[in-house]
Amino acid sequence: MDTFVKALSWVNLRYLFEGFGITIEVSLWAIVLSFIVGSLLGVARYVNVKYFSAIVGFVIDIIRNLPLILILFFVYFGLPGIGIRVAVVPAAIIALSIFESAMLAEIIRSGINAVPKGQMEAARSNGLTYVQAMTQVIMPQAFRKMIPPIVSQFISLIKDTSLATIILLPEAMYRAEIIYGQNVNYMIPMYVALAVIYFVINYLLSIASRHLAKRLAI
Amino acid sequence: MSMIEFKHVEKYYPNKFHALKDINLTIDKGEVVTIIGPSGSGKSTLLRTINGLESISEGQLLVNNMDLADKKTDINRLRKDVGMVFQHFNLYANKSVLDNITLGPRLVLKTSKEDAEAEAHELLKTVGLADKAASFPSMLSGGQKQRIAIARSLAMHPKAILFDEPTSALDPETIGDVLAVMQQIANQGMTMVVVTHEMGFARHVGDRIVFMRTARFWKTVAT
Repeated sequence: MDTFVKALSWVNLRYLFEGFGITIEVSLWAIVLSFIVGSLLGVARYVNVKYFSAIVGFVIDIIRNLPLILILFFVYFGLPGIGIRVAVVPAAIIALSIFESAMLAEIIRSGINAVPKGQMEAARSNGLTYVQAMTQVIMPQAFRKMIPPIVSQFISLIKDTSLATIILLPEAMYRAEIIYGQNVNYMIPMYVALAVIYFVINYLLSIASRHLAKRLAI
Repeated sequence: MSMIEFKHVEKYYPNKFHALKDINLTIDKGEVVTIIGPSGSGKSTLLRTINGLESISEGQLLVNNMDLADKKTDINRLRKDVGMVFQHFNLYANKSVLDNITLGPRLVLKTSKEDAEAEAHELLKTVGLADKAASFPSMLSGGQKQRIAIARSLAMHPKAILFDEPTSALDPETIGDVLAVMQQIANQGMTMVVVTHEMGFARHVGDRIVFMRTARFWKTVAT
């Protein structure tokens, strides 16, 4: 018990929380970027433009079948080899965004696919253009279906930022290692503290997602 | 004056299925034509070619003087004038009844919100659902949904309305309400093409019955 109290001293906790601030910063950037890119890719794959959609689909499949850590290594250690040097925070954001964009693109495509075909037929028969039908009728319904899988993907993303500890991103996981590096007895208290922080943030997110999905249900 | 004119129309689906064979049919303005036939005989396909939901493979199809085989025909322009009512209603699930009816007029006809809503309320009275303006489709019965779908297509002031088995998915006790609304529209001189199994409606409201069998017209009967 005494080790817990010492391990979770104010100085250590503050250090850990600052690291968590970086976790959140990287996650938020990656969430915003991957949502934008993922939506574009998902729609591009859905609308079925000859060749283009097939190529987009192929690239998405490649990324989805690679381990995230390989993408992280590639962006941080690989790109300097061809003269592109990226600092550690942007490197983590870029790698996570690439990976999550591919995941979100599939969620968004299948969400649009899940809207019954009759909705599009009715909208077009009503005189609406394809774009009007998509923005007014199809996407609002698809979005409702997508909320739970999208939020759970964001939760994965927040957890996956901890992988960036391996490229020395000073996020929560990395800082925990620094702290118990000084005193090996602090290892378990640090793991517990990390578990609590990750759980609270992600659990709150999943509750929020459930509420949102319920509120928007039709 | 003819509103819809099929001339030697053939339709093949991408899987080579020959869905329509040498269709010739002229429907005049204000005429109510019902199409009857077993499933798979091409009734729905025929109907769906009229507003371009299905393309035709050969022949000529003129609707409101627009050539549907011509790639240059503005299909959105055509659909403004030809309404469609579906078997499964297809009301916009994310919109209230009022918004279902006003969406087309506001986006396509550029009617103001006030005018579109005033007219929607009038149409709701016509179909006997004045109290449902704020409801969402999921809260309505099948018969109510179908009457809203009819109101939605009327709101566009179409020159013709296509009905694809409008009562086939309904409970027997609500079919009457929908048929009554359709009869009312027919009496006002609307051009209507109705795919249906309702023989009573076909005989009493329809001007002509077209019987289809294996992608062809089998028989055409004036009522």
